[in-house]
Amino acid sequence: MSYRLQRLPVAKPSVAFAARIASVVLALLTAGLVLKLVGMEPLALAGRVLKSTFGSSFGLEDLALLFTPLLYCGLAVAVALRIGAWNIGAEGQFNLGAFAAAGIALFVPGPDWAQLPAMAVTGALAGAAWILVPTLARAYAGVSELITTLLLNFVALLLVYWVSTGPWLDPSGHALATTARLPVSVPEFWGIVHWGLPVAVILAVGLAAVFAFTRWGYEVRIGGSNPGAARYAGMPVRRHLIAVMLLSGAIAGLGGMMEVAGTVGRLQGGISNNYGYLGIMVAVLARAAPLGTIATAFLMATILNGGIILQTQGLTTHTVLALTGLILLYAAIGDEAAKYRIVKLAKGA
Amino acid sequence: MDILAGLIQTAFLAGGVLALAALGEVLAERVGVVNLGVEGLMALGAMTAITTVVASPHPWLGFGAALLVGLVVGMVYAFATVVIRANQVLSGLALTYIGTGMAATLGKPVSGSPSPATFRPLDLGVLSDLPFVGRAFFSHNILVYIIFLVLPVVLHWLMFHTRHGLNMRAVGENPAAADAAGISVMKFRFWYTALGAALAAGAGAYLTLAFVPSWSEGVVSGRGWIAVALVIFAGFRPVNAVLAALLFGFVTALGFVGQARNWPVAASILSMLPYLGTIALMIVPVLAWQRMRRLMAAPEGLTEPYFRDVR
Repeated sequence: MSYRLQRLPVAKPSVAFAARIASVVLALLTAGLVLKLVGMEPLALAGRVLKSTFGSSFGLEDLALLFTPLLYCGLAVAVALRIGAWNIGAEGQFNLGAFAAAGIALFVPGPDWAQLPAMAVTGALAGAAWILVPTLARAYAGVSELITTLLLNFVALLLVYWVSTGPWLDPSGHALATTARLPVSVPEFWGIVHWGLPVAVILAVGLAAVFAFTRWGYEVRIGGSNPGAARYAGMPVRRHLIAVMLLSGAIAGLGGMMEVAGTVGRLQGGISNNYGYLGIMVAVLARAAPLGTIATAFLMATILNGGIILQTQGLTTHTVLALTGLILLYAAIGDEAAKYRIVKLAKGA
Repeated sequence: MDILAGLIQTAFLAGGVLALAALGEVLAERVGVVNLGVEGLMALGAMTAITTVVASPHPWLGFGAALLVGLVVGMVYAFATVVIRANQVLSGLALTYIGTGMAATLGKPVSGSPSPATFRPLDLGVLSDLPFVGRAFFSHNILVYIIFLVLPVVLHWLMFHTRHGLNMRAVGENPAAADAAGISVMKFRFWYTALGAALAAGAGAYLTLAFVPSWSEGVVSGRGWIAVALVIFAGFRPVNAVLAALLFGFVTALGFVGQARNWPVAASILSMLPYLGTIALMIVPVLAWQRMRRLMAAPEGLTEPYFRDVR
């Protein structure tokens, strides 16, 4: 009796799911081991994180405020992945959405009920505009959207930094390096948690329904998994690609609007706080399933919140970035490992 | 004239970072492995170099330490993507996150302070004293000459004029055919990916030992990604890669000159130039030179993991 490994072209969903869980657990164990080696107490630290996150409503509210932008960015990346496009530029589109929304709030006077929708629409449009050039370059010239969207992140960060320290600097002189407080804000529904969160969850459910039940969603999925077959079947793959990528940018832009008008209240440099990059993690861990991003965004928010709580221990948000990278590496390896199964060979075979 | 000489001088200095990282990426991509972790490797190299010279102020020691760290991390990356054959995009992004995050965390003690040992410009005697030419071409540190003269020539010769280079390109273009011809696909891919990663980390060391020269969290700021883009623009050729890097050094230098001379443009806007320029250079050639497309095309087997049993 002997055993051998057999590779399947596509992993079984249950095995793939188990591999995802295992990658997160292994990354946390690795991080714990590193902390132990540098003389910290990983279990005590983890206990503290869990207690201050889930032990009080303040902790839960903070968690919700981190969860919201992560869900928007995660959805943005997930939507693009559905048609096989890498939107690594959610960070930039998020900044542009915040920038455009802040511009409307600061310089276009109007009643609250009109301003908030106007800000949401301009935020989404600004996000879509920011991904327009990479989209067209990919659709018509085959230029890698992965690199172009990413490079625009740096431009967007510089733009927001420049306006909030220069032309749009708070004229009262009280605040450094930010604009004045926005005159309107997204209303809260629970403590300090604003309506940006339920809107994001509704968006996730809506997108899941679109991908599962509509013809458009079906064609997008086919266009992503087998573009050749989709084209052969007469589906307008290029048009879908353009629409999906613009939608992706718009979702990230809307997230930026909610952040500036709901959570922060002012436009300032670094408002995106790596949410765009962590959003890639959220989407990849959820295997680009919109409903799955709700769970993975929650996980990432917990990890990010843990990093913030542990700042006094010499850890930074960058440590969190390193930890998420570790999860991503294990997830990539796990994806491949999940395709193997052990088969028992019969005697004499 | 003085401005132009200064511009060219700065173009070499600034372009050197991109050139070294791009050469590393050329090595990896020619054997069929795309490494999107350059940004993270550069951060790790930059942090390693300055931490080393703080302990012992010898620039070569710092540079060597960065190369070594890059090689080790590159071997981990190659293990994941070549041996286990995990997805290269995901693994590369992971490497960027891990490198950037670790460098920022471990580099905190040396953040902000200038490097205690740097690569100084060489004095080439009469050559360095020549008007214009002396400043533009003969007043650089030793790394600039290695990166712009020695490495591209050696790598070009290796890739296009030796049997070893032919094998190397075959592995990137058609791993199944290379395998059938008795070339070890895995060995080539593993070691050139690791070597490319070492050069990327070396580019980070160049940043903190010769160019900036100090460490801060944002010191790499997208240069790794620009280097990855340059490789595509350069058609995966070492000589083109350093020329493209020089062009980008020139764009960066323009931004510096603008800031120094108080041009009526905000510094942040000038800092956008390299990123916008990279995007333009990725898009324009594809549209403009349709005929060059095949000559400049990526290796056929790029990002494709090789499985002997499913060819």
